[in-house]
Amino acid sequence: MYSNLVITAIYLALMFGAGIFFSRNIKNTSDYFLAGRSAPWFWIMGAVWATNIGFLHGYLAHGGAAYEWGLIQANFEWFQGPFGYILTGLFFIAFYWRAGIYTVPQFLERRYGNGIRTIYTLAWIFIFLVTIAAELYLGGMFLKNILHIPFWPTVFVLTAVVGSYMLLGGLGAAIMMEFVQFVIMMLGTMPLLFILLKMVGGFKGITSTLIGQWGVSAQYFSVLPDIHHPYGPGPWIVLGQCLVVTIGWCAGHQSMVQRNLGARSLYDAKLGYVAASIPKTLGAFLYIVPMVAAPIVFSQMGIFVEKSDAAYGKLILNILPQGMIGLFIAGLLSAGLSSIGSVLNSASTMIVKDIYERFFVKGKSDHHYFVAGRVATLSVIVVSLLLVPVVLKVYLIMWLEQLLLAMVLGPFMAVLALAIFWPRANTPGSLAGFLTGGAFAIVLQQVFGVNIFFQISWWSFVVSLVVTVAVSLLTPPPKKEKIEGITWQSNFEAMVGEVIEDRALGTAVRATTMKAKTIVLPPWHLNIKYWATAILAVQIALLLFFG
Amino acid sequence: MSNEPQTTNPKLIVAVQMLCIGIVLLILGIAVTLMSPVKSMTPLFRTWSILSNGSIILTGLAFTIGGILRHRRIK
Repeated sequence: MYSNLVITAIYLALMFGAGIFFSRNIKNTSDYFLAGRSAPWFWIMGAVWATNIGFLHGYLAHGGAAYEWGLIQANFEWFQGPFGYILTGLFFIAFYWRAGIYTVPQFLERRYGNGIRTIYTLAWIFIFLVTIAAELYLGGMFLKNILHIPFWPTVFVLTAVVGSYMLLGGLGAAIMMEFVQFVIMMLGTMPLLFILLKMVGGFKGITSTLIGQWGVSAQYFSVLPDIHHPYGPGPWIVLGQCLVVTIGWCAGHQSMVQRNLGARSLYDAKLGYVAASIPKTLGAFLYIVPMVAAPIVFSQMGIFVEKSDAAYGKLILNILPQGMIGLFIAGLLSAGLSSIGSVLNSASTMIVKDIYERFFVKGKSDHHYFVAGRVATLSVIVVSLLLVPVVLKVYLIMWLEQLLLAMVLGPFMAVLALAIFWPRANTPGSLAGFLTGGAFAIVLQQVFGVNIFFQISWWSFVVSLVVTVAVSLLTPPPKKEKIEGITWQSNFEAMVGEVIEDRALGTAVRATTMKAKTIVLPPWHLNIKYWATAILAVQIALLLFFG
Repeated sequence: MSNEPQTTNPKLIVAVQMLCIGIVLLILGIAVTLMSPVKSMTPLFRTWSILSNGSIILTGLAFTIGGILRHRRIK
C-alpha cells in the first residue's frame, strides 16, 4: 500500500513540476489558448484521445458498463469513436481553421451571427463546470477507496496539480500532459488485458465459460445488438449515438476541437484527429475486454462486486501486485486529470473569447486577455470545487447535464452540417432550428417520457434540420462574403492558395486574389486518406467479427 | 483576433514539451521499477511488469534525448 501511495505522489509531483517548468514559455493569448499553434500531429493524436478518456468516459464508467452489459460498450471504441474522429478530421476541422477562430461558438457566429453563439456558449460552460466537478468527485472517491486516504484533501491535491499547470501553461501544458497520460494509459494499463486473458484461457475461454457454462446471452458479445436490447438497441446506436451524438461531440466539443486548433498546420490538425482513432480503437482492450473477462476472475477468486462502477478498481486491487497497482493508479489518474485539464482549458477559453471579450471588455491589449484567461481558469476551478459536494449527490444536476447535452448536440449537428454543406442556410433559419430542436428534446423527455439519450438527440437533430431548412428557404439567403471560405462549396475556391493557413493566422486574404499554387502532396505513408481508409477497414473487420 | 506580440518560437515549445514528457516518463518508469517487488512476482506478472515499465522508461528516454537535441538545434 505504501509503495502505491509513493508512486501516486511521485506522479502528481512530476505533473506539477513539468507544468510549472513549461509555463515559462507562455507569453500571449495565442500561446495560452492555442499553444502558439505549435503542436505536431502525434501530440494532437495523444491529446484528443486522452481528452476523450476520463473517469466518466473510460475506465470506471465504461469499464463498469462493460462488466454489466458486455461487449456492446465497445461500440464507442470500435465503431462510433473512430468514425466520429475520422469524419471530423476529414470534413469539419478544415472549416474551423479557415474561419481563424479560437472557439466553436466563434465559428457559429461567423456563419450564423451572435444569437446562436451565446446560447451554445452558455450551455457548454454549464456542462463543463458539472463535468469538472463530477471528475473531481470520482477521482477523490477512487483514491479514497483504493489508497484509503481522506476524500477532501485528495480532491484539493488533484485540483492543485491540474489547476496549476492549466492556470500557468494553458493549452500547451494541457497537450503535453495529455501526451504523458496517453503513454501511461497505453503502456501502463495494457498488461491487464494479457494477464486476464492468460488467467481465463483467452477469448475462447471467456465465451465458453459465459455462454457455455453460465448461460449468458450471445448478445453479451455483440457490439451492435438487435433493436430489443434494453441497454443499447443497435439501430439507435447507429442513428442517434453515432451519426448525431458522437460526431456532434467530436466536432462541437470545445476541448476536442481546441487541440486541433493548436496544431502547427491544418495538415497536422487533420492527421492528428484521424490518427486518434487508433488509440481509440485500442482503448477497448484497456477497459472493455478486461471487464468482459472480469466476472470469471471474480467468480474464481470469490469476490463480490456490489456496484459495476467499482469493478475495475476491485479487479486491479485483487489481482495485481504492489508497484503495478501504483502504475495503474497513475494510469487511471491520467485519464481523469487529462479530462479535467482539457475541459478547464476550454471553459476558460470560452469565457474569455465568447463572453468577456464580446460583452464586457472589448479592444484591450493581448496581454489583458492573456491575464483574463488565467483569471477565468482560476474562477472555473473555484466554481467546480464548490460544485463537488452537490454533484452526483444531487441527481438533478447530472440529469440537467444529460438533458443539456441532448438538447445541444442534436441541434448543433443539424446547424453545423447545414452551415458547411448548404450555403443557403441563414441566421434566422439556424436560430429557429437550434431553439426548436432544443425545445423538442425537452418535450420528448418531459411529455413523452423518452429517457434514451440518443433517441432524444436523433429526433432533436431531425426537427432542427427540418426547421432550419424551412425557415432559411422562407427568409433571404446569407450574403456571399459572409460565407466565403467556410462552406463546402467555397472549399474548391480556396484551393487556389494558402487561404486556409492564412486565415488561421489571422491574416485573411480573399481566395480569389491569390495566385495558383502547386500543392505538394505528403509522402504516401502520411497521406490522411490512406490512414482513414486503413482505420475504417479495421473497424469494419471488428464489427463483422463482433457484430 | 487581437495583435499577438512576443509569440514563443513554436519549435521551442515542442522541444520543451518533448523534454518534459521524457523526464516525467523516465522518472515515473524508474520509480515504479524500483518500488515493484519483481523478484517475488509470479512469472506472468513479472514478465508484464518488466515489459510495461521497460517500455515507459524507453519512451521517456527517447523523448528526453529528442527534446535535448531539438532544444540545442534551436538555441
